[in-house]
Amino acid sequence: MEIYLPIAEMPVNVLLIVGLGAAVGFLSGMFGVGGGFILTPFLMFWGIPPAVAVATQSPQIVASSVSGVVTHWRKGNVDFKMAGVLLTGGLAGSVIGIHLFNALRAAGQEDLFISLAYVIFLGSVGGLMLWESVHAVRQSAGSAPSSRRTAGAHHWVHGLPLKVRFHRSKLYISAIPPLLLGLLIGVLSVVMGVGGGFILVPAMIYLLRMPTSVVVGTSLFQVVFIGAFSTLLHAVTNQSVDAILAGLLIAGGVVGAQFGVRFGERLRSDWMRLCLAALLLMICVRLGINLVWPPGNPFSVSVEALL
Amino acid sequence: MTCWFLATLIALLALVPGARSEELAAGISRDKIEINSRFTGTQVAIFGSVEPAIGEVVQGDRSRDIVVVVRSDMLSRAVVRRKEPLGPVWVNREMLAFESVPEFYFVASSRPLAEVAEPSVLQQFQLGVAQVDTGPGFGAGRKAVEFREAFLASRQAQQLYSQHEGAVTFLSPTLFRTTLALPPNVPAGNLKVSVYAFKDGRITSSSAMTLFIDKTGIERALSEFSVREPLLYGLSALLVAVAAGLVAAAVFRDRS
Repeated sequence: MEIYLPIAEMPVNVLLIVGLGAAVGFLSGMFGVGGGFILTPFLMFWGIPPAVAVATQSPQIVASSVSGVVTHWRKGNVDFKMAGVLLTGGLAGSVIGIHLFNALRAAGQEDLFISLAYVIFLGSVGGLMLWESVHAVRQSAGSAPSSRRTAGAHHWVHGLPLKVRFHRSKLYISAIPPLLLGLLIGVLSVVMGVGGGFILVPAMIYLLRMPTSVVVGTSLFQVVFIGAFSTLLHAVTNQSVDAILAGLLIAGGVVGAQFGVRFGERLRSDWMRLCLAALLLMICVRLGINLVWPPGNPFSVSVEALL
Repeated sequence: MTCWFLATLIALLALVPGARSEELAAGISRDKIEINSRFTGTQVAIFGSVEPAIGEVVQGDRSRDIVVVVRSDMLSRAVVRRKEPLGPVWVNREMLAFESVPEFYFVASSRPLAEVAEPSVLQQFQLGVAQVDTGPGFGAGRKAVEFREAFLASRQAQQLYSQHEGAVTFLSPTLFRTTLALPPNVPAGNLKVSVYAFKDGRITSSSAMTLFIDKTGIERALSEFSVREPLLYGLSALLVAVAAGLVAAAVFRDRS
């Protein structure tokens, strides 16, 4: 069954797009990531113009994140105070990000920078997580589980001033690390066109030492706002949000997210971290191969309408 | 005075039939294509007749060579980049911009274009994908040629540019037709259809028509909304997204 997309100006298979939305929504609900870093390449692979693909994934991310975050909220898994601090940093970061992005585009190297940033962030974050979670899984399989939180309780993060109590996360830490983290995510989300969940989630687990169950809900809450901001930005500046494409992705995404939340709950937290690490590394390897492998066609063509 | 003028006019008119040249008449099966939600491309027949000059004897199975060109009015800017290895990674190094390229181009001819006319004529009337005018702003060096070829190849791969030699068929020595296949990704806008009749490598007559391609129904409403009220459009998209998320969370609440 095919349907014509008014902004992308091409037809797509309805079931394919709904299925893609559902798959990405599932990952979103389970891991607390937006899923833009998977969705965008897939849409472009099917011939959706890059500008439309990047812009249209944002409403889908908003929808599946809302779907997931409501369910997490009901279970008390959202730390609103932490999310507020992260968002404050994020707002400042996105302003820096816009300037950085414009500078890169003027140099014609934004593609390279985006790919390199993905490979570096996905690779290092995924690698560290994989190493840690494999360790944790093996440890808990072998003997009695040792508590992770006592192992590194006195991290440098805990010595900073401006301490704030985050009840939901059971933390009493300085507001500076979450602010800086938010700032970094803000810069990355503008420059790389992603919500930043895949960096936010591991950072909250390992740097801020929040409980994994709260991390996913809190990350999703933050992703809702980043996605909303990005939707408006793209709609106003490029007019490249395709409502029909977004509708199909949303239909699949909100349902997928519900299954993702439930599946994620049944998964033990060390296994969840292991799965997320594997996912990040898979994408990292794919992008890395793209960078290093000699391209079949060295030429790339981008066409923009003259107004 | 008036009488003398009329007499001259009548005398002139009497001379006309002897000197009357060929007549080319062409038409299209549809002059308006509506893109709705079920649009997956379509076909349009382009047909016509070319009557030779009076007194001329038609040799062979056709009176003229026919070339049909369909071009979109809308022009775009295309940027072509080339990747080159820089250490271990492949990086976009050189780029070339083509300032005004047509969004759609189709050419069909009754014989291979090289046999229809000289390269200079083909170039002048942009007959053939290789002759498409990509606007000013690139030189004649090897780099420019390579980049232009890469651009044309990419457009052909997307079915937006195509060349069909021998696709104009003659039903009789004077009646011809061809089929314009519009791909699903054809841009909305006007297409200019030009029909040229050739004899001995020269254009003897031509005819032009316009084919309107327009979005209808919800496709049109949405694309107009997105341009006229971008902020409202973005907010509506958000509203739908948030509502869909809330509904899904509410529906699935009972099952958990």
